[in-house]
Amino acid sequence: MAGLASRLRRRPPKYSAAALAWKGLRGEGWPRVWRDCDLQRSYDAVVIGGGVHGLATAYYLARNHGMTNVAVLDKAYLGSGGSGRNTAIVRSNYLTPEGVAFYDRSVHLYERMAVELNINVMFSQRGHLTLAHSDASLRTMHWRAEVNKLGGVNSSVIGPDEVKQECPSLDTSDHPRYPIQGALYHPPGGVVRHDAVVWGYARAADHMGVEMHQKTEVTDIICEGGDGPDGKGAGGRVTGVRTNRGDISTPIVINCTAGWASLISTMAGVRLPITTHPLQAAVTEPVKMFLPTVVVSGSLHVYVSQTDRGELVFGASVDPYANYSVRGSLEFTEGLAGHVLELMPGISRMRVLRQWSGLCDMTPDYSPVMGFTPVDGFLVDVGWGTYGFKAAPVSGEQMAEAAATGRTPKLIEAFALSRFDDGELVGEKGAASVGH
Amino acid sequence: MLLVPCPNCGPRNSTDLRYGGESHARPDPNTASPQEWRAYLYLRDNPAGWLRENWYCASGCRRWFSIERNTATNEFRDPPLPGDKRGGAA
Amino acid sequence: MTMSRQGVQPTEVIDRAAKLRFRWNGKRFSGFEGDTIASALAAEGEHIFSRSMKYHRPRGILTADYWDPNLMVQVGDDPNVRAGHRLVRNGMDVRSQNAWPSLNRDLKAANGLLGRFLTAGFYYKTFMRPQWLWPTYERVLATFAPGGKIDIDTPHGYHDKRYTHPDVVVAGAGPAGIEAALAASTAGARVLLVSHEHAVGGHLRYSSDAGDQGALAELRASLDASDVEVLTDSTVTGRYEDNWLGIVQRNHPIAVERLIKARAKVLVAAPGLIERPYVFEGNDRPGVITSGAARRLINLWGVKPGERAVVFSANADGDAAAADLERVGTEIAAVIDARSGGQISSTAGSSRAVEAVMANGEQIDADLLVMAAGWTAPTSLLNMAGDRPVYDPAAARFFPSDPPSNVLSTGGLAGDADLDGLRQHGAETGRLAAARAAAVRHRLQARTARALPVEGDEPAWAVDERVPLGRDPHPELFRADTHGMVDMSEDISSKDLVAAAHEGYDSVELAKRYTTATMGPSQGKLETVNTVAAIAEARGETISQVGTTVWRPPYAPLTLGALAGRSFEPVRVSSIHPWHEANNVTLIQAGQWLRPDHYGDPQAEVRNVRENVGLIDVTPLGKLDLRGPDVPKLLSLLYVNKWMKLGIGRVRYGMMCAEDGVVLDDGVTGRLGEDHYMMSTTSSGAGGVWEWVENWLQTERPDWQVHVTPVTTAYASINVAGPKSRELMRRVCEGVDLDAEAFPYMTVREATVAGVSGCFMWRIGFTGELSFELHVPAGHGCHVWEALMDAGSDLGVGPFGLEGQRIMRLEKGHFIVGQDTDGLTLGPSTGMGSLIKLDKDDFAGKPELAWAADRPLPLVVAIQPDDPDVVPEEAAQILRGDTNEILGRITSSRFSPTLNRSICLGQVEPHLAAGGTKLTVLLESGERISATVIDHHAHFDPAGERLRG
Repeated sequence: MAGLASRLRRRPPKYSAAALAWKGLRGEGWPRVWRDCDLQRSYDAVVIGGGVHGLATAYYLARNHGMTNVAVLDKAYLGSGGSGRNTAIVRSNYLTPEGVAFYDRSVHLYERMAVELNINVMFSQRGHLTLAHSDASLRTMHWRAEVNKLGGVNSSVIGPDEVKQECPSLDTSDHPRYPIQGALYHPPGGVVRHDAVVWGYARAADHMGVEMHQKTEVTDIICEGGDGPDGKGAGGRVTGVRTNRGDISTPIVINCTAGWASLISTMAGVRLPITTHPLQAAVTEPVKMFLPTVVVSGSLHVYVSQTDRGELVFGASVDPYANYSVRGSLEFTEGLAGHVLELMPGISRMRVLRQWSGLCDMTPDYSPVMGFTPVDGFLVDVGWGTYGFKAAPVSGEQMAEAAATGRTPKLIEAFALSRFDDGELVGEKGAASVGH
Repeated sequence: MLLVPCPNCGPRNSTDLRYGGESHARPDPNTASPQEWRAYLYLRDNPAGWLRENWYCASGCRRWFSIERNTATNEFRDPPLPGDKRGGAA
Repeated sequence: MTMSRQGVQPTEVIDRAAKLRFRWNGKRFSGFEGDTIASALAAEGEHIFSRSMKYHRPRGILTADYWDPNLMVQVGDDPNVRAGHRLVRNGMDVRSQNAWPSLNRDLKAANGLLGRFLTAGFYYKTFMRPQWLWPTYERVLATFAPGGKIDIDTPHGYHDKRYTHPDVVVAGAGPAGIEAALAASTAGARVLLVSHEHAVGGHLRYSSDAGDQGALAELRASLDASDVEVLTDSTVTGRYEDNWLGIVQRNHPIAVERLIKARAKVLVAAPGLIERPYVFEGNDRPGVITSGAARRLINLWGVKPGERAVVFSANADGDAAAADLERVGTEIAAVIDARSGGQISSTAGSSRAVEAVMANGEQIDADLLVMAAGWTAPTSLLNMAGDRPVYDPAAARFFPSDPPSNVLSTGGLAGDADLDGLRQHGAETGRLAAARAAAVRHRLQARTARALPVEGDEPAWAVDERVPLGRDPHPELFRADTHGMVDMSEDISSKDLVAAAHEGYDSVELAKRYTTATMGPSQGKLETVNTVAAIAEARGETISQVGTTVWRPPYAPLTLGALAGRSFEPVRVSSIHPWHEANNVTLIQAGQWLRPDHYGDPQAEVRNVRENVGLIDVTPLGKLDLRGPDVPKLLSLLYVNKWMKLGIGRVRYGMMCAEDGVVLDDGVTGRLGEDHYMMSTTSSGAGGVWEWVENWLQTERPDWQVHVTPVTTAYASINVAGPKSRELMRRVCEGVDLDAEAFPYMTVREATVAGVSGCFMWRIGFTGELSFELHVPAGHGCHVWEALMDAGSDLGVGPFGLEGQRIMRLEKGHFIVGQDTDGLTLGPSTGMGSLIKLDKDDFAGKPELAWAADRPLPLVVAIQPDDPDVVPEEAAQILRGDTNEILGRITSSRFSPTLNRSICLGQVEPHLAAGGTKLTVLLESGERISATVIDHHAHFDPAGERLRG
């Protein structure tokens, strides 16, 4: 009975300044942001991974397709993986038309997220600068700008003087070893409060009846009819999942587990073009605001923005060797600091307060793997590498459509797993190949 | 900083080496099907545990060697002694 | 509360003869050598040091040490300085942070009135509508960002790093840490002892007990007499893989701050314990301090913390604080003993000072409340080693559980004992550490080929036979029956945490993220256990069930300057560089190389090469010397074309593809002798191709006999190009017949040039002109260059740079890997598919290239805009008519002085690749122009008559 009652749609308690004032005056607390539910024996769909991708997928399954008998399972707590460990940058200035269209949709969904989900995700569209330090990278910036413009995305190449204007703390002189020669400027890019996105999707999905199950670890995926052992593998289909809290039967399993994607897919007998590498990040102590935009330098492997709390948040490229440890390294912070001071020598006295890392599911072509697999009912939304957060809303929307309709939406056709069988990789790798 | 046991140079900081990724045999280029060849190119086991992988001692002896490492704990299994002739992708 | 300097204390660390003057918010203050900023200010009666983050409440001294969250100040251009730790210096300019307009009158304190609405996470619940106002809201919120100010003109400063390889590093220099260091050193280990404080001694430093002081003197004397290296005012900030340690040294005589990287064989963690504040109403009012703060103020700096004190004590440290206070004349209004059920519930007074304490239901007038409520075990370094600490309710703190065996702990982190017991445990830990370090040292040495040989077998891994320290019972004191501040840096109260837990943010990590508790500058040192306790209380669970957050590095913050150190980015130049510099060169960055881009007028340089003769410095061109009988097989394996029948003295162009068929590199390789070849690569590909060659030889074909030597920088390379190049070469070259028949295109000869023997001379060139590419032993590069310039002055010889070469190669239609190709360009897309010989048994990428033959791939083609004066940008997109559908792009473009028109290379869809096809090109300006695909890649001299000349 409890199960049935908990599935009834509830009226969402609205967040607003007025409600805040009312509750403040009466000294009232807020209801739970999502329910604690008993695990059912069966669902119409099970999403593995309670990060932004899994939660967005569940949200859109319920919102756009009326599928509410859905469970999101996470082995730890919601947002415990990359969703709470990324540097929260959102942008759409990609290189390929497919990438631009896809991420542009994501930016639009982010723009209306606060209102749609009724939680302030603090999308700060403060502008995004990708610095170029060589004529080759400047050429790639021009290429991106042209493709962006054709896709309706606001993006252009600016010179060092304009860079200095946007961001006075950058050293645009010819003193650095690799002077700044220009930048790709993308005004709609910015940062989002990442945890709020997790909580917003969870809360909204919960209101529609989706169940969030934390500390629920998937230990196996139950399949039948496949060409591998235990009915797993190509040609088979999913019938359920085994968890540390018992078995669940379900015809649809969606793998949204980022760095752990290979481990979950192996449970269904599906091999992925993925290796797991930690991506590290660090934050400094707060100082008064001085960095107005998001700054990225591809050649120096660093990106930095200042939070509304005054901290600088830094990220870099993934660790060089595959591993599942999130303990971080000293060489990361050393390299990061060296590169950041090349860009902004004036901040040498800022102190690094904390470093951490998350696990990234890297693919050979720097593009995700989305949609159907050779196992019927087993869908993947993986291969997100270092850019998963910015794609969460659109991925959730598209994956939900794929799962609910059984057809691959056009926007994600290019990202199918089968492209690796066909040798049809996505061209985001193009930008990664910079010679001379 | 991980210490990587190079068979020639001994334990070296990982930044002295280049990571070569999972060690898999190259299929026969004349008989491999597209699926087999592309599995070799792109698909990876990516376990959270023991993995046979390749390293290149870029700042040392410049030898490629293969070794087993636990990707969850970063321990190396059976690290080599000097003169160990292991090496090369399987 | 009034603090004031007292008479000389026997334990004090100040030199009253050395008076220092500094400024605090513009006003003059003074202190003594040995004072911290906070102790000097306190001694002169200052009691408000900062404003809190959210409510801007006045904050005073809490712990009077490095971790004090209320003592963050700006010192000159240095933000967020710990005034509880940083020593006063003459002339210091110290300012308060986070107060507007001033520390004493802060308008944002009005936020305090809104406290009931500004609950933790309130900002998630409002400011959603209207959407267009959010940027404004955001700007206002951002003005609440705490912390100091950055001056973007701050100089980088001197920050060199140090590497060290000690056997044992002891983190923490209390009595247990010192004993560990001494014992390890005595046992033969190289030891580094790291003291976070300005002097060793730990808690003994601020103990007025004669026995403690005697022990401290003895320990210091032993250290002085030992081989232990001691670092003070330094912190082990992180423990990484294989005991790689980061240590920040804040008192280096030259460096602003220095990062020391230590590969310790064994790490001993002995950081002591951090005193935990108690949570109750008004616990952040100035005048509420920890027992440690009271004892430090009195015993280290001779500062009396207040006139009339209530001491809330749950342990011996609280009792000792009461005794110290009494000694300096503070009236003890009451000692509330928590061990016998004593309880405090709130303070009363103004926002600026304590006036009374509610204790055991009574109001006691006092200007000081000293709390000794328990300890936080800073398990940080153990966490970083993978350990998960375990909570012991009887001792009311966390303890290490199962750290790796090369990380040991001693002192308060490991347990409790009297001083002798702690010292003994420390010494046993030191001996164990030394024994294990010896085993690690033996293993490392045995596994390192060129290390000194080691004798005997590796010593057995020493068994831990230490007598474990006890665990003193301690009451579990976290919160009174009232709510108060848990996280002083972030203004987070226990009420906020309970509310967050009830709202569903009920795991410690979720609550931390939602409320931001433990996220501020002290990173949980003071507030973690209280945070966990509040969540546990809200959930009705125990602290063990809730668990703790994971402590992340660094343990103590360190500056970007120290982490960055000095920039060691190498700059590569050729041996001819001095000549370029003396001759009006404009340089261009090309990877690590600095190369001549031009010498003033690249178009004129092109014309000179086409008409006379020019020299270009192409030293960065990758060069691999290949020797051995199996070189032809290697070349056949790595290039897509055939190599088994290349005659001695012959040169061939080759293209390399990766195993996925994507173009990797290209260049020419020549056969210099029977078993001797020279391979050239692109400049940027030099390193990668070398590794690629080694990989194939070592892993796939280990039985082949080939020696590879990279000789890129062993030779200076000069291309002599132009119709008069043969004439010029005749004047400087000995021993080679330069006639076209004797030394034809695509051949190589060894020669003596300008008196330099051992030069290689190739009849090749990227410019399309008659060319001789010289590889000269690097030391003679400048000499040969100058000789060529001299010998050719009447021929019109001149230098040309990269830009001129790029124009000429484009005129000739030569593609550049990485510019005209990209990360997905398969071999046949270059338009040189006929080079690929699928009948070879094997070569890199063969299967993909075989399948690619049947695929509709984009193609590299030569394109000419119909308007010869328009040069489309490199990156201009090729579109389908008036639509936005992308069919290709311009990859290279220049104005050709030779043809007097614009010329391009581009990638287009295959159906557009035929000569004569009309294209629509979108310029960056938005204008669409028409252009035409031409028949050959070469815009100029497609038959190649000039270069064969």
